[in-house]
Amino acid sequence: MAGHSSVLEDGSLLSRLDRHLLKFERFLALVSGLAVFGLMVLAVVSVGGRNLFNRPLAGYVDWIEQLMPLIAFMGISFVQREGGHIRMDIVIGMLRGRALWLFELISVILILVLMAALVWGSWAHFQRSFDFEAPMWSNDSSIDIGLPIWPAKLLAPVAFSVLCLRLLLQIWGFGRAFLLGLANPVAVPLIEDTAAVAAHEAEQLEGHE
Amino acid sequence: TEWNVSLWGKRRAFTEHVEKLAELVAEKTNGEFTLNISYGGLSKNKENLDGISIGAFEMAQFCAGYHRDKNRTITVLELPFLGVSNLEEEVAVSNAVYAHPAVQKEMAKWNAKLLMTSPMPQYNLVGTGEPRDTLEKMKGMRVRATGGLGKAFEAIGAVPTSVTATEAYNAMESGVVDTVAFAPHAHLAFGTINIADWWTENLNPGTVNCPVVVNIDAYEALSDAEREALDSSIDEAIAHYLDNYGKLLEKWDSILAEKGVQKVHIADAEIEKFKKAAAPVKDQWIADMTAQGLPAQELYDLVQDTLKKVRGGS
Amino acid sequence: MDNIEIGLWVTGGMLVMVVMGMRVAFAAGLAGLAGLIWIFWAKFGYAPDKFGKALTVGVKIAGQVPHSKVSSQALSLIPTFILIGYLAYYAGLTRALFEAAKRWIAWLPGGLAVSTVFATAGFAAVSGASVATAAVFARIAIPEMQSIGYDKRFAAGVVAAAGTLASMIPPSAILVIYAIIVEQDVGKLLLAGFIPGAFSALIYGILIVGTAMLFKRVGPPVGGFSWRERLVSLPPALPIVFVVVIIIFFVYNPFGGDAWGTPTEGGALGAFVVFCMAVWKGMRWSELKSALIETAKLTVMIFSIIWGVLIYVRFLGFADLPGAFADWVTSLHMSPMLILVMILLAYAVLGMFMDAIGMLLLTLPVVYPAVMALNGGEAVSAADSTFGMSGPMCAIWFGILVVKMAEFCLITPPIGLNCFVVAGVRPDLSVQDVFRGVTPFFIADAVTIALLVAFPAIVLWLPSLAM
Ligand code: NA
Ligand code: NA
Repeated sequence: MAGHSSVLEDGSLLSRLDRHLLKFERFLALVSGLAVFGLMVLAVVSVGGRNLFNRPLAGYVDWIEQLMPLIAFMGISFVQREGGHIRMDIVIGMLRGRALWLFELISVILILVLMAALVWGSWAHFQRSFDFEAPMWSNDSSIDIGLPIWPAKLLAPVAFSVLCLRLLLQIWGFGRAFLLGLANPVAVPLIEDTAAVAAHEAEQLEGHE
Repeated sequence: TEWNVSLWGKRRAFTEHVEKLAELVAEKTNGEFTLNISYGGLSKNKENLDGISIGAFEMAQFCAGYHRDKNRTITVLELPFLGVSNLEEEVAVSNAVYAHPAVQKEMAKWNAKLLMTSPMPQYNLVGTGEPRDTLEKMKGMRVRATGGLGKAFEAIGAVPTSVTATEAYNAMESGVVDTVAFAPHAHLAFGTINIADWWTENLNPGTVNCPVVVNIDAYEALSDAEREALDSSIDEAIAHYLDNYGKLLEKWDSILAEKGVQKVHIADAEIEKFKKAAAPVKDQWIADMTAQGLPAQELYDLVQDTLKKVRGGS
Repeated sequence: MDNIEIGLWVTGGMLVMVVMGMRVAFAAGLAGLAGLIWIFWAKFGYAPDKFGKALTVGVKIAGQVPHSKVSSQALSLIPTFILIGYLAYYAGLTRALFEAAKRWIAWLPGGLAVSTVFATAGFAAVSGASVATAAVFARIAIPEMQSIGYDKRFAAGVVAAAGTLASMIPPSAILVIYAIIVEQDVGKLLLAGFIPGAFSALIYGILIVGTAMLFKRVGPPVGGFSWRERLVSLPPALPIVFVVVIIIFFVYNPFGGDAWGTPTEGGALGAFVVFCMAVWKGMRWSELKSALIETAKLTVMIFSIIWGVLIYVRFLGFADLPGAFADWVTSLHMSPMLILVMILLAYAVLGMFMDAIGMLLLTLPVVYPAVMALNGGEAVSAADSTFGMSGPMCAIWFGILVVKMAEFCLITPPIGLNCFVVAGVRPDLSVQDVFRGVTPFFIADAVTIALLVAFPAIVLWLPSLAM
């Protein structure tokens, strides 16, 4: 059930870099999954504490707000690697060869522009909450139990930077495919038709009814 | 000049001074200078100060308790049992604190200049079931209260529980909290009064402080006439706010009667006990803030002196 | 150029990027960022030396959005709902439900198909994702139906249509997303999903029984289960009941006392129950790990769209486009009900080509304020309103209608994803076969939507108890 991939591999430098980054991306995705598990445990502790011992978990909401960026951002590059972010592929699905690579290339460059800007913007957001002079380096704290917020805010620029690396590899991959007119380029997600996507979805559940 | 103003929620007693300010400023400048008020469209309430610092909008309202570390000095006004007994006194102590150099310096870090306060009456509890009218009955009580108030309730063995204002109704209805501490307008706006059985009329443990700030660069870029129009309208805007809130408080008794909410009077002896138990909260605050190099004792004394002055003068 | 014009240009640019196949999350985010920079540069009078400042302000505003919007208690429901669905496979709930449904209701005409619908509806109560639900039941239910002589296309259509129910019956990621975008109470929306979900299932059931009585070939009844066989089929399906009870009771206590907690806690506890069940059924660490990674992937996909679209929404706030659109819609000389129906039809058309979550996120920021304005505003009372319901109730009603449209778009050609999934699971079925088989259910869905529009009480009765 480990996520399928429509990314081809070979022994080239690009493909090796792709796989190295993939290891790191997969690790980040697992961290994110464990954080979801943590969310579940937190609720059990909170409800249990309140109803069994009349001791609600202090700062339950504060802790959730700390966990959420971990869940929301860490897997972003992993999903981009697999081409999993939602899109409308009616038009692009009809293209073949160079035309397809050109559209993909433009799209990936635009994403890089956005993400580079967001690394800057989210870093500034982090910086406003961070102060080397202050106790716990905190310039912004959660409402209830005063947890410093900067670690959670730092996750956004970190995850977005990893995504920028991934996008650079994809620009390389699609750019190469466009210039050389390749049929099956490595290190980039290839479009599957909807039926193949569905077949993958089905495969994932094989043996687990 | 057109300024964007970031508030949140919807128009209510708590935002009437800003609405009035917009009206007055436009009037005085013949529409040359307008305030464009947005309720939540420009920023999340906890990030209004960030928005001011970025220059996303020129004016904003926030509450000190939302983010203590962003505005340590102002939290002096949220300490329990400061002794403020009406909105006029709340305005006076806020103005005095806002004028203090240490406070202005801290706000300047956010490129923010304090314009005026949003005076809030003392918070009181609503709850369901048996009234919690003694400290004994408040032991183990799950109460929605933030900042210094939360600390005060903690000191008497109650359990402050985190929910935002907008979730307070649900939290109370679902038993996540037993009681909610709000100012009257908020008990109305967030509906907690609708499910309450009782309201404490005289617990008066403290309140929250919510200033209105402007971006310093934008303020300095105003023409002299515009700046004059803005500055000269503040007192009238506050007066309008007080007048409007006063009307709401007058109606309060009839609202309680209509909703079938019992007024609970807490015995003086109980309140004295509460004050005594909560006293360390203030001492702790002064110790912590002093350790961070802030003139904490000075700020606290400033509040007390101002209160004396206001009472002596009237 | 005034702000509203900028708003229109940027929105147009975003749609072009989406149609050209750019990932929706990033197309929306980029449009929002560009729009913010544009608006601030316009504010500075397009002075060349002020472009840098406009850029900085725009980037910093956009840079706040991801962390700010994502660190919310209400949004934490989405990953827990997704996790419940993944763990449900390991807890063996699918087979258990199908067996129980078969033993209890397969004696009806078209009984096995009706059983499939109700077993799927039951599974929807632990699964937040329609596509996964359809995939599982395609594997179990279609072969059984075929083996007793069902038309295979019809059998496939039953599964594809019933699978959509997972988006309406809580836990539902789509309902949570709607609640977040329109800033309404998540708990009440989840509560509101139960009855329309069950109602949809009932309409499907009636349609099947009717068809089976008319055309004998569609499916014979299956009888001969003893009461003992029926009773023993129930316990394995019990965790479903736990999850439903937990979610309902954590929003509202039907017995009049306090509810047990918040929806956030309810969702997480539901996941915990299913997790315990899965462990008891022998789930291994490797399986848990892959469930967690799959959850993380789906979550990050959804969250990226959420913050991407919210950057665009933040820009809209500065451009005040939703306000302008709402003013325009309310100034039309048309019956408000007609406008509402046209909005729903537009969703049906859009849904043929777009993913459901992307469709809702892209359109709601503009459409929702317009619908609320049609009804008389957020704070309107039932008596003064156009549709005869208060502002918050209208928000719930419209949400359920929109989610029903989103479900509909999962079975309409050319992109109806559920049909592709069913065809993908069954190699003997082509996508065309499934679309053919699912056609009768368009009628059922049209009837359901018409009834939900005509009788809002079906939607609003349960949440109004919790008010
Ligand atoms: Na569901
Ligand atoms: Na479709």
